[in-house]
Amino acid sequence: MSFVVTKPGLQVTLQAAPRHGLRHMGVPASGPADPLSMALANRLVGNPPDACSLEIPFGMFSLAAQADAKIAMTGAPVTVRINGEAKPMHQTLSVRAGDAIELGSAEAGARVYIAVAGGFTGTTFLGSTSTYLPAAFGGYEGRALKSGDVLAVSASDVDPGHLETPEHMRQVFSHGFALRCVPGPDESLIAGWDKKQDFVASRRADRTGIEVTGSWPRLQKTALRPSAPIFPGGIQLTPSGAAFILLQDAQTTGGYPHVLQVTHADHHVLGQIRPGDRIQFLKRTPEEAADDLREKVAFFRSWIPDLRL
Amino acid sequence: MIDCNISLLGDDAVCLRPADRAHRHALAQALRTSGRWLDVVPGKEIVAVRFDPFMCAPSEAVAQLKDWLKSYEEQSSGTGEPIELTLDTSSANAPDLEALAQQNNLSTDAFLQKVIQSDLVVDMLGFTPGFAYVDGVDKSLVAERLSVPRVRVPAGSVGLLSGQIGLYALGGPGGWPIIGRVHERLFDAKRHEPFLLQAGQPISLKLVGG
Repeated sequence: MSFVVTKPGLQVTLQAAPRHGLRHMGVPASGPADPLSMALANRLVGNPPDACSLEIPFGMFSLAAQADAKIAMTGAPVTVRINGEAKPMHQTLSVRAGDAIELGSAEAGARVYIAVAGGFTGTTFLGSTSTYLPAAFGGYEGRALKSGDVLAVSASDVDPGHLETPEHMRQVFSHGFALRCVPGPDESLIAGWDKKQDFVASRRADRTGIEVTGSWPRLQKTALRPSAPIFPGGIQLTPSGAAFILLQDAQTTGGYPHVLQVTHADHHVLGQIRPGDRIQFLKRTPEEAADDLREKVAFFRSWIPDLRL
Repeated sequence: MIDCNISLLGDDAVCLRPADRAHRHALAQALRTSGRWLDVVPGKEIVAVRFDPFMCAPSEAVAQLKDWLKSYEEQSSGTGEPIELTLDTSSANAPDLEALAQQNNLSTDAFLQKVIQSDLVVDMLGFTPGFAYVDGVDKSLVAERLSVPRVRVPAGSVGLLSGQIGLYALGGPGGWPIIGRVHERLFDAKRHEPFLLQAGQPISLKLVGG
């Protein structure tokens, strides 16, 4: 069972569970930028939440099926066509050998996910199949997909039947995002930051991070710090006056002031922010943030019992 | 028990700051061995411990670590096997060498001699896979970050800041002035042991090119 890539898209990668326990060697987590959308796609085809799936920035990607299969698309809304016929996202779709699967362009949200019953196969490296492009490991030869690549699929003994994501569990995408955050160790450097929130995601955005411009307080002198560990969701302020929100592939240590931290509960949202989107930050305490996470996971577990965010 | 400050780092990590930074690696190793934490990552001054806030509330993670520290006894983490790296300082591989030597009022030869005669030791890995922060550079040498980082420095590039060297294991963006390039592959996903270096390992540099 396999698929052939017929239109490669923009840096489409295979992603699965993140890599843990190796950040002290400089190895980041990787894994889906929006793990909730990937888990929803896997749910529709009977897979575990982190089964290896395709992460497709902005859509514009096509595949040809080489055998019968069950697939599902979630994430940023795009038109889906199978042999030219419009199909819905958030449903189990049956494809037959020879079918052409085409994704249109996402107008809101940033990443589409395709899951297949059984999961895609990829190279496992340091305990995970997730692609990490900067060091070219995991996934499909450690790289983004090209036309003609053949994506193999693991055999599945589960028939998911026909499923639809419950309506109230589908994320709604617009061009504004509210992100909950807690203070970082250097928050005192940006006292008063929340008085004027005119923050916008710039064009510098990929799986390592998103640049956020706006009225950040100016750092005094060059407020560089001794290199310190930093994790996805961390917000660093640079001497140029822009902030970076770190994503799954971000560096493991850094010397820029760590001013805020997007809460764990909202990490999945980061994967859907696109250039030009407005961002508002909502202040939480760490204990409130943990409650938010438990609440969110409990909500989705009624549909995906083994979900982790 | 060691003298160590504990505080939250965001909502999913805890920062341990030992009074003496020399304790970081033994502390990190012991925490990693405990198997309780998602990631244990040393920085230049702290050790960060990442937890899953779904499984464990932030206040509880801090309390667990405080408790654990009470019975913590430091085991010597030992020093790694010394390793020699070949440093190529031909001009194509060392774009900032001449300027740095001049800033320090030294000939490039004298500058390089001061670098290679330093007691170099890998302080930690981090940033990207296999990138090594190396301590011990002769304190009389002064170097600052480039005002505009390079979009791409090749794998193996050797950056120098006052007091430390950074070994770029991957090609990629880089903000440190570059004084040469080592021949050895610092990270190789296809090698049985992908990482050439480890924290605590003494390093000597053998000059070629130039």
